[in-house]
Amino acid sequence: MRFTKLLWLAAISAALLALLPYYATPAPATKRPRYGGTLRVELSATTISLDPRNWKPGSVASATNEKLAALIYDRLVTLDDYGRFQPALATEWTHDAAAKNWQFKLRPGVKFSDGTPLSPKEVVAALQPLLPAGMQIVTFENGVQIRAARPAPDLLEQLASGRYFVYRILPDNSYAGTGPFVLVEPALPAISEANPSAVKPAHLKFRAREDAWSARAFLDAIAVTAGDPPLRQLLNIQVGRADIIDIPPDLVRKARQENLRVWSSFPDTLLALRLDNAPPGTADPRFREALDFSLDRDTMANVLLQRQALPALALLPQWLSGYAFLLGSSMNLEQAKALHAKLPASSVGGSEPVRLRVDAVGDLMKLLGERVAVNARQANISVQIVPHSAPSSANSNAAAIGLHLFAWHYDSLSPRVELQTLAQHLYSESGGESESIEEPLNPEKLFAQEQRLLEERQILPLLLLPEYIGIASNVRNWSVEPSGAWRLADVWLEPPESTASNPENATERTTAPGVHP
Amino acid sequence: MSFRTKVFLIFLITVLASVSLVAYGVTYYTQRAFEQMDAARTDALVNQFKKEFAQRGETVVQQVENITNADVTVRMVLDLARPNADSSLYLHDANGAAQTHNLDFVEFVNSDGALISSAQYPARVGYKVDWVTSNKIWDSSGAFLKREELPDGVALSLTAVRTATVGEKVVYIIGGRRLDQNFLASLVLPTGMRALLYRNLESSFVPTSLTDTAGPIPQADQFQSLIEQIQKQSQPEMIVKTMQWTNDPASAETFHAMPLTGRHNELLGVLLLGSPQRELVQLRRQILRTAGLVALAAICIGLLLSFWVSKRITQPVEELANGARDVASGRWDTHIDVQGSDEVGQLAEAFNNMTFTLASQKEKLVQTERVAAWRELARRLAHELRNPLFPLQITVENLQRARQLAPAQFQEVFNEATATLKAELANLNSIVGRFSDFSKMPAPHFTRVNVNDALRNAVRLFEPQFTAVGKPAITTEYFLNEALREIDADPDLLHRAFQNLVLNALDALPAGGTLTLRTSEREDTVRIEVSDTGKGLTPEECARLFTPYYTTKQLGTGLGLAIVQSVVADHLGTISVSSEEGRGTTFRIDLPKRHDGVVPKPKPEAKPGVTESERATAASD
Repeated sequence: MRFTKLLWLAAISAALLALLPYYATPAPATKRPRYGGTLRVELSATTISLDPRNWKPGSVASATNEKLAALIYDRLVTLDDYGRFQPALATEWTHDAAAKNWQFKLRPGVKFSDGTPLSPKEVVAALQPLLPAGMQIVTFENGVQIRAARPAPDLLEQLASGRYFVYRILPDNSYAGTGPFVLVEPALPAISEANPSAVKPAHLKFRAREDAWSARAFLDAIAVTAGDPPLRQLLNIQVGRADIIDIPPDLVRKARQENLRVWSSFPDTLLALRLDNAPPGTADPRFREALDFSLDRDTMANVLLQRQALPALALLPQWLSGYAFLLGSSMNLEQAKALHAKLPASSVGGSEPVRLRVDAVGDLMKLLGERVAVNARQANISVQIVPHSAPSSANSNAAAIGLHLFAWHYDSLSPRVELQTLAQHLYSESGGESESIEEPLNPEKLFAQEQRLLEERQILPLLLLPEYIGIASNVRNWSVEPSGAWRLADVWLEPPESTASNPENATERTTAPGVHP
Repeated sequence: MSFRTKVFLIFLITVLASVSLVAYGVTYYTQRAFEQMDAARTDALVNQFKKEFAQRGETVVQQVENITNADVTVRMVLDLARPNADSSLYLHDANGAAQTHNLDFVEFVNSDGALISSAQYPARVGYKVDWVTSNKIWDSSGAFLKREELPDGVALSLTAVRTATVGEKVVYIIGGRRLDQNFLASLVLPTGMRALLYRNLESSFVPTSLTDTAGPIPQADQFQSLIEQIQKQSQPEMIVKTMQWTNDPASAETFHAMPLTGRHNELLGVLLLGSPQRELVQLRRQILRTAGLVALAAICIGLLLSFWVSKRITQPVEELANGARDVASGRWDTHIDVQGSDEVGQLAEAFNNMTFTLASQKEKLVQTERVAAWRELARRLAHELRNPLFPLQITVENLQRARQLAPAQFQEVFNEATATLKAELANLNSIVGRFSDFSKMPAPHFTRVNVNDALRNAVRLFEPQFTAVGKPAITTEYFLNEALREIDADPDLLHRAFQNLVLNALDALPAGGTLTLRTSEREDTVRIEVSDTGKGLTPEECARLFTPYYTTKQLGTGLGLAIVQSVVADHLGTISVSSEEGRGTTFRIDLPKRHDGVVPKPKPEAKPGVTESERATAASD
């Protein structure tokens, strides 16, 4: 009897103990924004440039630059989450029927971080070097006018993305913008000799502007650490030394296994193979087709990248073009072998291996390069991986590079501009002639153009990678613009003690239904 | 070569041969013993390496078993055993296992053979690894060598396979250690030895595949033949080969090339254990140096010993030879002083006895010959003198009887008797003169003489007799070598000798015939031949022909040919005779061309002929 009482007592005590944490947990934190605090951001990029003129289109580095530039610069227009253009520095805009002349009325009362008022002249000085050939920007009363030689119906998509920021170069070679933050450390960034606009700090610090036209940011400051390796970033965010980190795809699963809050974007980076014409054999359509058929994109995406990427069958992603699902060819090893068998025995990839250089950096890219070599070997195509530092010039002593594995970041929200930029990059790197895409281009023509590019197989798309961001549990109101820029001015920080049971501690995915179909 | 030299050389050769044989034998057997010791040492090291290699294999097996039994592996297998399991979750697990368990190569293979995870080649994930699923008894198998495909090429590994089983789910765990210079560096080798590894991963010899602990070696090409030799073997076996890196034999290294084979006995690598030959070569050199010094000392001692022994042996023989030479020179009473009772001593004693006997016999012989000579001389003198004495006696008796005759008649008889007395007395005087001349043969005075001229001059004296009226004709034939050079000779004596020979031939040709004169030149001599076609001589006559006072002629004194022999002997020449009865006789004289100390003198004027007395002397012989 006494033993039975003791058993009951123990059971009740255990039940109370089990319920204790639930009732002891404080009430959920308030949803009201909270001012103050410093957001600690860690990035893998080792070089940061705040001068949009020097951003290389399509490069992964330019995406990082764009994110940081969005803290201190503004665009004329932006795109909201529903795909609608919203006023930014321009409050109104009109264009003629042919969409060749665009007029933008500037927002009054806006000042740069150095106190200089925003004027049409400053806008013209900032945007004219960035606009493509055939476009001219001039001042127009209290605004600016962009004149295009050809119709530019997608001008707003262009201006709402990419490098089209309004900025000002100060006499001390620092940069000033109208954005919600101002760069305070280093006040005078170290200038790289190779790239004068590139800043190579280990730490950058941005302070919130009290006089920002878009209202003061919730955060007091943002501290950015550049060049940290991914695993250290992961450790830092786990131990509370970082709030925002970028995570390579191969670490996403590990981050999730460790209960880290991971946000992922729509696929914004294309991994692809570019074939050079320098080794004569690589120009053979049969070789290109055989190589294309040998590529096992599904395994690359699902196994090597552990489902953190998508097989790429088109040059533009589905969310950007809307027709990507109609394009591409699947793996067909038998056909690849048959095609390669028709090639001369002495051709490249036969007795002489075709040299593949992994232009993008990182272990993941190297792994993908090796996978390409393994896939190609299944079709009897010999592929040799060469170091990233290997010269690609055909006139060097080494054999010319025939294949390049490269990463392409989609900068523009205009599929026409993106495809044209990609094609220009492709032809300029491959030594071919650049082909201009006609404007305006309707979706059918754009599809045909991309289909033709794919059939030429100068470029073989492999994978589409989203951007993965690790977010600490105390970070609130995380959102991203459709252009990919982080809306850090809207982020606020929760005190640490109130974050334990916050329902936001889950995997997030940004949605931009208005833009991404 | 003297007997002493011969004996010396024989002793020397014997000593040299003995010393060389001993030195060679000592060197050979010592060297061989050390080589056997070195081979035994290397064999022990090879066996030690095999054990160590096997131990490494056991270590790899143990490490793979550790991975197999690790919780993370068991959880993975449990997860994979579920339906629709996502194997991509374990993409990097092999890498973690490799780092945790200190292995170079780790791979997880699903039960269907698909590669789940690979530490060394993650890009191959998803591909089939059929060789591992074909064997069902991995858990009891040991480590084996394997050709490992890598992104940047191929490698050689010591690999083991184990299976992790949950229910019916089987996952193969493949783990291995790379066989490279690090592996070589981990081997414990004695000082001086080195290990090389050739990774036989290409179809042909690749120099860069041969490494030592520091990486590819610079002289890899020199191993090509050795490696190819192993590659050609159907059943790879160990080969031992010595390589010399420089001209110095001490730089040589003996390599034991051990083939490393895979599961199917395919040649995957060759381990070369190099053992330096420096110590052995130095030891060999030291032995050779010592043997050389000993041999040199032995040769020196042998030289001295040989000299002493040869001298000791040959000295009595030399004394015997000297004694014999003395005997030959006429000293019949020579006595040699040789001690000892051995064969040489007995020989010396016999020699002394012989010389003593010879001396006594000679004395007797001389006395006998002297008596005989005197008797012969007396007989000849008596014979020679009796011939004129008998007419003297008759003449004197006639003269006595003529006293009774008329004075005119007496005067006539008297005149006739005195003429006869004078003639016979002259004859007696001539006989005495010839004997006197023979006893007074002068010593030769050498000068350069033309033999052909001397021969012609001698013949010219008798030419009138060759064609004398009423006598059968004698024909002379000359076969003279006109290129004959002058010789050292006494022209007068030579003339006298030739004159006697021609005269002797004339006497042999009473019925006429042919006189042949021939000269020829030898290496150091000239030969003069005088032949006749007379009745010839018997062998007995030939044997006694040069004996003084021996003659076959009715009126000869027996001195002619004795004079010829005396002249030839005084010129250090030789004379011989050959004759065939009924066909003629030939005299051959060999005279030396030169005599020491002779200087050519002006050629004497040619004599118009010989004196009457000489002619008479020659004719009477």
